[in-house]
This record gives sequence, structure tokens and C-alpha cells, in this order.
Amino acid sequence: MRQKCSLILSDGNRFEGDLIGAPVRATGELVFTTGMVGYSEAITDPSYYGQILVFTYPLIGNYGIPDLPVSTREPIPRGFESLRPQAAGVILTVDSPETFHWNSFHSIDQWLKDHDVPGIVGLDTRHLVHLIRSGANVLGRMEPESATGDRYAGDSIDFGRSKFFDPGQNRIITEVSTKEEVVLGTGSTRIAVVDCGVKWNIIRQLVELGCRVQLLPWDSDLTKVECDAWLVSNGPGDPTRTDNLRERISWVLEQDKPVLGICLGHQMIALAAGATTRRMPYGHRSHNQPVYEVGTRRGYITTQNHGYVVEDESIPDDWEPWFRNVNDQTIEGIRHKSKPLRSVQFHPEASGGPRDTAWILEQFVAGVGK
Amino acid sequence: MPVLDVLKPGQKPKKILLLGSGGLSIGQAGEFDYSGTQAIKAMKEEGMQVVVVNPNIATVQTNPDPGVSIYLYPVETEWVKKVIEKERPDAIVAGFGGQTALNCLIDLDAKGILKEFGIQNLGTPASVLRMTEDRDEFAEAMRKNDMPVPPSMACDTLEQAREAVEKIGFPVIVRAAYALGGLGSGFADNMEELEELVVAALASSPQVLVEKSLKGWKEVEYEVMRDGEGNTITICNMENFDPLGIHTGDSIVVAPSQTLSDEEYQVLRNAAISIVNHLGIVGECNVQYALSPDSTEFYVIEVNARLSRSSALASKATGYPIAYIAAKVVMGFDLIELKNPVTGITFAFFEPALDYVTVKIPRWDLSKFSGVSRKLGSTMKSVGEIMSIGRSFPEALQKAVRMVTENPEGLSMQRVFPEQDGLLEKLRVPTDARLYKVLEGFRRGMSIGEIHEITHIDEWFLYHVRSIARLESEIRELGDGAGASGTDFVRNALADAGTQQWRHWKVLGFGDEQIAGLLLRHERQTEEVTEQLIQKGSLEARSLRQAQGVHPVVKKIDTTAAEYPSPSNYLYLSYGGQFHDPLPEDEKVFSAIVLGGGSYRIGTSVEFDWCAVSCSQRLQKAGWRSIIINCNPETVSTDYNSSDRLYFEELTLERILDVADYEKVVGCIASMGGQQPNRLALPLAAAGIKLLGHSPKTIDTAEDRSKFSALLDSLGIDQPAWTSARSPEEIKEFTNRTGFPVLIRPSYVLSGAAMNVAWDEESLNKCLEMAVDISPDHPVVISGFLSGAREIELDGVARDGKILTAIVSEHVENAGVHSGDATTVVPAQRIYVETARKVRKAGRAIARGLGLNGPFNIQFLAREGELKVIECNARAARSFPFVSKTVGINLASVATDVIIGTEPNLERFNEDDLPFVGAKAAMFSFTRLAGADPILGVEMASTGEVGCMGHNFEEALLLALQATGTGRPTKGVLVSSGTEKDKLSFLKSAKILQKMGLPIYATEGTAAYLNEHGIPATALAWPDEGGSDVIGAIKEGLVDLVINIPKSSRRVELTRGSQIRQAAVRFGCALLTNMEKVNAFIHALDKCPDFVKNHELLKLPPYQN
Repeated sequence: MRQKCSLILSDGNRFEGDLIGAPVRATGELVFTTGMVGYSEAITDPSYYGQILVFTYPLIGNYGIPDLPVSTREPIPRGFESLRPQAAGVILTVDSPETFHWNSFHSIDQWLKDHDVPGIVGLDTRHLVHLIRSGANVLGRMEPESATGDRYAGDSIDFGRSKFFDPGQNRIITEVSTKEEVVLGTGSTRIAVVDCGVKWNIIRQLVELGCRVQLLPWDSDLTKVECDAWLVSNGPGDPTRTDNLRERISWVLEQDKPVLGICLGHQMIALAAGATTRRMPYGHRSHNQPVYEVGTRRGYITTQNHGYVVEDESIPDDWEPWFRNVNDQTIEGIRHKSKPLRSVQFHPEASGGPRDTAWILEQFVAGVGK
Repeated sequence: MPVLDVLKPGQKPKKILLLGSGGLSIGQAGEFDYSGTQAIKAMKEEGMQVVVVNPNIATVQTNPDPGVSIYLYPVETEWVKKVIEKERPDAIVAGFGGQTALNCLIDLDAKGILKEFGIQNLGTPASVLRMTEDRDEFAEAMRKNDMPVPPSMACDTLEQAREAVEKIGFPVIVRAAYALGGLGSGFADNMEELEELVVAALASSPQVLVEKSLKGWKEVEYEVMRDGEGNTITICNMENFDPLGIHTGDSIVVAPSQTLSDEEYQVLRNAAISIVNHLGIVGECNVQYALSPDSTEFYVIEVNARLSRSSALASKATGYPIAYIAAKVVMGFDLIELKNPVTGITFAFFEPALDYVTVKIPRWDLSKFSGVSRKLGSTMKSVGEIMSIGRSFPEALQKAVRMVTENPEGLSMQRVFPEQDGLLEKLRVPTDARLYKVLEGFRRGMSIGEIHEITHIDEWFLYHVRSIARLESEIRELGDGAGASGTDFVRNALADAGTQQWRHWKVLGFGDEQIAGLLLRHERQTEEVTEQLIQKGSLEARSLRQAQGVHPVVKKIDTTAAEYPSPSNYLYLSYGGQFHDPLPEDEKVFSAIVLGGGSYRIGTSVEFDWCAVSCSQRLQKAGWRSIIINCNPETVSTDYNSSDRLYFEELTLERILDVADYEKVVGCIASMGGQQPNRLALPLAAAGIKLLGHSPKTIDTAEDRSKFSALLDSLGIDQPAWTSARSPEEIKEFTNRTGFPVLIRPSYVLSGAAMNVAWDEESLNKCLEMAVDISPDHPVVISGFLSGAREIELDGVARDGKILTAIVSEHVENAGVHSGDATTVVPAQRIYVETARKVRKAGRAIARGLGLNGPFNIQFLAREGELKVIECNARAARSFPFVSKTVGINLASVATDVIIGTEPNLERFNEDDLPFVGAKAAMFSFTRLAGADPILGVEMASTGEVGCMGHNFEEALLLALQATGTGRPTKGVLVSSGTEKDKLSFLKSAKILQKMGLPIYATEGTAAYLNEHGIPATALAWPDEGGSDVIGAIKEGLVDLVINIPKSSRRVELTRGSQIRQAAVRFGCALLTNMEKVNAFIHALDKCPDFVKNHELLKLPPYQN
């Protein structure tokens, strides 16, 4: 028999399901993803930091979780996007207590337990989506019947004290960025990655493309870095709550080296170029987001995970929209009209999700030094 | 931009020729009515004129609607060319009509006809289609694109096949090129099996492929759509429950995939997109893979560059209207400019996100065919399928089993497959019953590992089957010491079940009737547990469950997992949630449930879907909210725009009550979907649901043999003698009184036991053996059987016991051939005016006597001035679409008017004023049923039908027979006729064949008889007699028509006649086994020389109501 666990929402709603994972309290912004596979990638995606992740696909954990010992260091094995679960907690309909996949080492229940993350099964996730969609910024709190403590989520945040944690109101980038510089790959092309909470598949792909990747803490002194090109990574939270990162990225943009921004990195580049961002009602979080390349009839299916978006009318004159979302026409990428400066809101590195835009990273690397 | 530029103002609308798929057969079923119907809708929206060539008269797509011209002709080059000459279309589409349409398109292209008439082929180019069909070229194309294909070799001869296997090594799979549904395919473990397969495949196909067997690998499919700009999406992936080795049409299929990681999912998705781009597909495409069970290694197995059964399934599984969007795409629209009609605000360029799981289970009717093997392999054998939707895998799986078996006890049912010994062997060899065997294995305590070892079914699926087995015993145990009996016992047993327990059972998919059944069977052990008792018990269970606050919730299928608001009306019920989705709002006051027909099977096919759709459309037109419940993904009725609300759900008492409770309907229409909804009518009425149309009493009297018979007696209407026998002695007593032949019908049809005719004492004893247990609880209905009688049907609509309209049709074959297999003609051609008058008179009396109030069908026998009533169906019948389209009045619409109390429009209708004659012929699928004796009898064996129009009977008959594979013979005719009487009646036909210059071959007796009467015929020996034999003549292609008339219609397996019939089927000869049909056909050939040239095309006129 599993113990009960409540989900309490900032709008007053309260639901009860069964606890999986660790019996600890957790709080965060309630968000949903509609991806049907890739749950271990999603849960370890640093962009979900400070969020309670609701899976709309009801059967999660079917193929188990690959091996990720608590002591793992870089490079991170496939199936994971960082060294630990980043989401504050997870909510799903049905889990798989036993797993049989050739690459499975743990059930999702056990894995969450090992990493001190709570989960709830048996909730009507589709109903939660309706709630998230109708009320802007729904915050949630997970309360196991007999909690043994609070979810530890970094030194700077005390989940236990605040009733509801809102990642949008806090500077959380510190919690997901690397603490020290890490160098990966032995290639000749030197890429400096400003780690705002990078998804590991970005690093994997750069290394596979023959790059030597220098992973930098988000608050590094960028002027000291020697590299051939820059990548500003994805990450969680409000792009305007990042101290002076915007100013430092502005400096990067002036160095005449190729720059690629992804997700939060895209928003940072847009801000650095002089554009503005806004919070979306409930964001894009799925593996099926359609974008098209502006000026063409060519579309791509992309993985996305963002709650903020670059405001269309704010894009400066020397920049132009590169991609737009087919459904809501929001900005999905921008590029400089004359310099090799580009950024995309979606995730060309996928993982999980479709790999239709893998060419963006390839093109970026190919363009270095030209 | 649209290729055809129709959107430019001032331009005249363009004409598109759409090829249909013909009569339903195994491997090519109702899915093409669904895809064709959606395509027509998409094309009409763009202002196109659509010309349809499809002889399948029972389809929705052949409705003569405004803007659509219907030609009920064979989908063959000569006829399509004739339509082209008349209609001069601008473009042609073949991707919506299955393999039949594609083959026709490839031929039209090869013969230069498209070029000659300047017709643009919309969609994937013919050259690409040809390439995907040629295994060798296909494999080459895959290799060029770095796509792994299983090691294989294309072989034109047996010798080459032997050499191939030396390189590849056993086991291998042999596949025939250019074949639908894996026809002529099979696995070979040794040289002997290889030779047998290759010889058979080469007989019907110029080439075979010998390929490495990947038995035990996972089978995964992707549905892909690509537009002319190269934008490509995968709409859905699907994973087979059964590992590779079973044809996907015969596999239990789960969508989306369940056991694939993101890595595996994306690798295969990428490959699919790469393939489709490489090939330059425009429109829909299906890619099938074998995926290693322990790595990401995979092979590409097959690419179908057209709409398919899988795409229909994917469409229903996701809500994404694949055929509709594919039609827009082939007209030249980009995916990024097309709206997703399900949300209305997002676009067609995206990939659906599901927040539920679907399970498809095929429907096999193998017990209907004597001699057929139940083994499943690479040749498809199923005749239909269902799809279930749930929010847990066990919920979906259990729903699916209830849907496909039409048994509300589902996986827990008894007696389905009574033999339980040799379980391990039965697990090892995949059959239509394997799922039940797997469950039985768990009941007996086998482990997941053990069953996986034997079956190679993924452990994840097995894990869930085991959880069902465990819960079954938990439920049974509740009955221990419950006291009382019957429904009281059920109440006591469940008295202590709390909310959590109930919820657990329901989330794992247990039905109320299933729970009641488990308890009652546990209580009574071997004693009889009737359907009625289980129903009553389930209503007890239902009220106890509801008292615990456990209800299903209504959820929407919206393609986006609720990410966007959607007005979708596509709904299902689940226990995997606590909140109903908000429903679409409308102003309608009255609503009615229309029950669909469930899975297609022998006896229930697309014609009932046509009835349900006609009914739903009529309800909507009258301002009613139409609510369809059905679970067959191959149908138009389950298209989201066929009704106001679609519940893709079980046709069970429990589920219909759930929907009725929730929807507050006026009532339920059970008379449109065929036998299954009809069977539910009385239980529904007993549970308090108002039946719209016929009253429960009417249905009961019509269905209950004794009550109906008593009614006929009281009306003074003659009927064949009959009795309900409870012991063999009672049967003997009956036959002593009436003599032979007699028709025997078990009261409940076990799989295996079927209707049969006993011609004498000996065959009676055999029938009784087969009927297993005749007992007071299982009476057998036995009735006199008139041989040599003519069969007549009356289809119509009555209101308050008065016939509003009724049409007389006539069978070509004499009585003894099931009405579903018979060739039917409207208007009746050969019956006396007096007989027709008697038929109508009896019809009126029966309508009055039963108080018919809705659609009906009455079947009669006529012989020498006598008229006897066989049965009356107080529901729409299989013949409705055929009769409706032939006479120009939609009987299902008229019936709906009656059912809801509006006045039907019958003013302009005059049956005597028909401009043409319609003939309906049955479509058989014996080619796929190795071992089955292709002979017709009282048990229906056809899988589909066609209906064609002619200026006279002969023309209509020729067209209908050609459309079912019996074309004008050109090589020679083999005759083997049974009785003296048959031989005599064949003489005239033989003379015609002689006049036509066709060589006649015959078995010795028949040859001697023909020679005696001055007709030259080459005598051939039976195969066991040596010399040049009949089978050899068929094999060598000396003949293309085989006439084999059995001595009597008794089913005697493995007679010499059966060998001839099976050889004819295997080597692609037309086969006729009924002398009336033979004579009608040959006479028609004689009356219509140079038929294709001389025939003036007939377009189906619109309905008059």
C-alpha cells in the first residue's frame, strides 16, 4: 500500500493521490508536458527546476530508468540531461512498478526515491491541464501523508518555509549552472557554453561534432574566455532575473564570433540585443511544437519547454525573426541581419523529442571560423 | 499553393477521379470507406467535383450526394478508362482505395491512359508506388538511403529461392510482390516449407522475396504525412503486442508505443521521415520496422505509400483526420497552412499528443470456415477489428476484449476456447486465442519470464495481463462464504467492497458483468450461468459501485492532450480520472443514441455502418443531437463528423447505460447496427432505457423462434416445419416426421458450432457431434429445409404496424446459400406476379402482427406456388444500402423518420419506375484462408459485397461478378458438376461456352455426359488417378474459370471436389459452385457480347428522399 500524497494548488484546489518516490514535501510552479516518451530526460532537464511537472501521457515509467548512480559525474549518460532530477516533483496517472526494458536499471518510483524527489500517481492529469491552462501561474505544493522532510533543492532556496515557491519570482539560475568550469571533448573547434542550466545533449552533440566544449558557470567573467564561438544555453526561470547576465551577453554579441542561443539562451540574446520578453499564460512544453522558418514554407516539429517568450515588436532593426510558431505565431528564433548571431526558442538538441532541427547545431559548428 | 489552382476566382471547378477499393475482403476492409469518405469531403470543400469508381454499394462513399458522381463499376483498367472517357477528369487519386486502387493506377499509368487523357496523378508518383511494391527495388532504395533492410533476395524462380536461402539461412520469410495483406507470404524453417510457399506465391505473383526471419523482434509502425514542400510529420506510432512474425493486420496493436524509450522512438521516427523524404512521398505513408528487443538495432520491413488499415487506426487513435488532411495535401496544400479541424485553432502541421492508450484487437471468424488453420502468421486472416481507449493499459486491453468478443465478461469469459490442455504448445504457436492462453498461463501460476520465453511478447505487456489474472482471483474470493445465491449472492459478495477497491477493479478494466460473472461462476461451479443472470447480477454490482461513488468520467480526444481548448466531440469513458471534460455545447433539445455495429465480421460489415451513418445524419437534419456509440476504427460512423457526439466505446449494457445516464437522452436506436445492438435491445429496455423504433415486445417476438412461429400460425402464414429439440431423440423424432433435409441451428453459437444442413441420417449424426452439447439448457432449433426453392427478401420500413415502403428482391441461387453469400437482384426478375403479391400480403400481415415500427427485413422461400416465411428481422438488414441505392430511396433515413416521429418524404418514389437493374454479389476471401473449403452453404462465408447497376439483369450480373473476381473467361473452363440434374441444366451453358470458342475441360463423368450430348470436352483425371489431372490443368493455367458443383451442399471436407475448389482459389481462377449462378453468368456472357465496349455507363442517381 502506498501512502497518500496531496497536491495543494495556489488557487485553492486540493487533490489526493498515491505517493511514489521520496516522502518529502515539495513546491513549485505547476507545468505540464505532453511528451509521450522521454520522461527521464524531462525530469532531469534543468529548465524544469522549481516546477512540478505534470505528465499528460498517463503511463509513465514503462521502460524504466537507465543507470544513473547518485555519484555520477560528467559526461552524463544518455537518457539524462543533468546529474539529478531537477523538477521539484512529478505528477502522473499510472507508473510501472516493474520494468523490463533492456536499458532499465530502476523503476521511476525507486529512482525518484533514490534522488529524494516526491511524485504522485493516480491524479486526473488531464483535469490539472485544464486548471493550468485556465489560471495563469498555478503554483503547487506536494504534501505526503507522513513526510520525512522537504525536498532539498539547492542552498539558496528554502522550500519548507514558503508555502508556494514561484520560480518566476526568484533567481534560480545559480542552482542549475555548473559551479566550476568543465572542459569536454578534444576537438579543435572551441565552443564556450554559458551554462544557465544546460541540457546535456547540447554538450554531447557539440562533442560529437568535433568540438572542445568549455562549460562555464553562468556568472563567469566572460571577457577572460578564449574560444571560437559561443553558445548560451537553456535554463529555468525568468530571463530578467539573471543579475547582469544580459550585459555580459551584450559583450559576447559584440565579439564578432558566432553565437547560438537556445531557449533561455535565446531569450538572453534577445534581451542583450535590446528586445524584451514576457511571461506566457502557460508556455510551450511538449515534443510536438510546430515552427516554420520565416520567409519559407518549411516547417519543423520541435521539443520545447519555456514559459517566457521574446516579444515580437521589440526585436531591434538589425535583427529579424528566424522561426515562428505555426500555431500562435510567437517568436521561435531570431537572427542578426549581418552577423553570425542566432538563437532559437526550441531545443535543436531534442532529447526527448524529435530531432528535426539537429541541423541548427551542425550549421552553427560548421560556421565557426568561416 | 494548390496544384489545381481551384481557388482562383472565375475558374471552373476541377474534376477529381477517386478510385475506391471494391468489395470488402480480408486485408482490404472498411478502412477505405472511411478514408475515401474523408477525401471526398476534403475535395468538395475545395469546390472540386468528385467522380468515384467503386462497386462497393454498401459504403458511405458511394452515396450519390451533390457534387459527387458515383460509378458502381469494377476498379479495373477497362472500366475506369470508360469512366475517364465519359467524365474527363482533370486528376486522379488512388491513395484512398487500398491496394486495388493503387494497382489500377499503376496500370493506367503504364498503359499511358493517364497521359492520353491529360490526367494528373495527385499524390505520390506512380513510379514511386511501383518501387515500393517491388521488394527488390525497394530494398535497393533503402540501402541507398542507409536504411537497414533485412537480408533478402528477390527471386523469380524456385531455383533462385533455393540459392537465396543458402546465403541467408533458415528461418526465412517468403513474401509475394504486389499482394495485399501479405497474401502468399509465410515462414519457412526448412527446404520443404520453402518450396511449398514459393510455388504458391509464384502462381499469383511474378516475384517472391526470400528474407531473413526476425521472429521475436518488436514490430513497430509509424504513420507519416509529407506535403509537397517536404514538410513531414509522424502522426502516430504503434507497437504490436505480438512480436514480429504475425501480420500486423492480425496483431494486437497498441498506440502509442509502450515499451520504446525516447531514444528508440526518435531513431525510428527519424528513419521514417528520412525514408519518406527520400522516396518523395506526397500524402500519407506507413513505415513498418522490426526493432531488436535488446538494443536500438532495427530493420525497415515495409513501406505503404497510401492510406492503409494502420492509417485508419492511427486516425482514430489520435483524432487526427489523416485521410482528410492527406486529401488536402495531395491537392497541393501545405501542412503549415491547413488548420487542424479538431481544435479549429491549431494547424495540421504538428504531431498529436495522446493522453490515453489505445488497443486494437483483430476479429477473426476462423470458426466460420471449415478446415482452416487457426495459426497466425504472415498472411492476414482477420476480417475486422476494434479499438479501445483507456487511461491504463489493462483498462484498454480489457475493454478491447469485450468489444471484439461481444462478450461483456471479456477476458474472464468461460467456454470461449474450452480445450485447456497442451497450454504450452498453444502459447508457442500464435493463434487467434493466444491472449486467452497467456491469461490462462498466469492463472495457473506461470511467471512473466516463462511466458515471455515461449511467446516473446514483451514482459511489460505480460506484466499487465498477470495483474488482470491476479485481480480475477481476488474478485472470485469475495464470493467465498457470501451465502445466498444468484443476484443476492452477488450483492453479498460485493457488500463490503469500498471505494478504493471498486476504483482499483475499474481502473484495471473490469466490467460490471465481468465481475458478476466471475462471482456467479465461482458460486455455481459447473452449473449453468445464463446471460440474463449475469446481466441482473451486474445491475446489482452497478448500484453497489455507484453507491461507493465510483463512476467513469467522460474524456475528450482532441489531438493535443488538452494543451489547447478544443470543441472536439470525440469522446470516451475511463476510470483513469475523476473529472468529466467539458462537453461541446449546442442548442439541441432532443438527443438519441445510435448504436453502431462493432467489429466487422462475417455477417456484419460496412452495410450496417452505412445504416448507422444514414440514421445519424437524418437525426441531425431533424434537429436532434445524434450520439453514436461504436468501437470499430474502420468505419465512417466513428468519424468525428458523422455525429454530434461520438463515444468510441464498448457496445455493452454497462457502457450504454453510462452514456445514457450522462447524456440524458430521449432513447436509444438499436435497429441500425446489425445483430449486436439488436441483441442489446431487450436488456437495455429491461434496465430502463427507452428503445426508439420497434418496441421491446416486437423485437422479442421477432427474435424468439417460438413466439414468432406462433404469430405466423395465428396469421395463417406458412413456415417451414420446425422444432426446438432438447435431446438427440427429439431431433430424430422430428426428422422421422418431416424427412430430410433439415437445417440445424444451435441456440447459442459457440465458436466451432455453426448452422448446418443435414441431408440424411449420416450427416445428421455428424452435425450432432459438432454441436457438442444438446441439453435442456442448450436446445437446438431444427427446421425443414426446402431444396430447390427460390429465396425472396422484403426490405422496408413500417410505422405502427403499417408498411410505408417495402422492396422485393430475389436471389439468383436457390435456397441453401446464406442470404449474405447469395447473388441478389432488384427488382426481382423471375418471380410470378402472384408470388410478389403473396410476399407483400404476408409482409403486411407480419408488420401488423408484430407491430413493426421501424426498419425490417423478411425472408421467404417460394416453391411451386407455396410461400413460406423463414424469418423476420426487426431491424435494418444487410441488404438496406443495396436496395436503397438501387431504388433511389434511403431506407435507413426513412426508418429514422419513423423512429423519431417525423414524416418521411416518399412522394416521388415509385418502385415500378426504376431506370435500371441492380445486382449484388458476395465477395469472398478464401485466398487468404489456407485449408478452408471454398464452398457456400447455410453458414455465411463472404467478407464483403458489391452492387452494380445494368440496363438489364445480365449487365448488372456481369458487372457484379467481375467486381468480385469472376470475369469473362478467356482461356478455358473446367467443369465438374455434381448430380444428373445439375449436368442436365448445364447443357445450355456448355453450348454457349462452345459457341464462345472456349475449351471445356471436365472431370470424367461430366466430360462423358457433355460428349454424349455433342459438346466436346477434354476429360481430366482426378489427381489420385494419375495422368493429366484437373489440379494440373488449374496449376498450368489452362483454365481461368472453374465450375465445381458439389453433389449436395453438405460440407464434406477433403473430398476431391474440395481439392479442385482449393486449387482454383490458390491459383487465382474464378470459382463458381452454384449451378443457378453458373447458368445465369454464362447466359449473361452470351447476351452481352463485347460488353465493355457496348455497355453504356450508368451513374447512380441521387436519393429521392
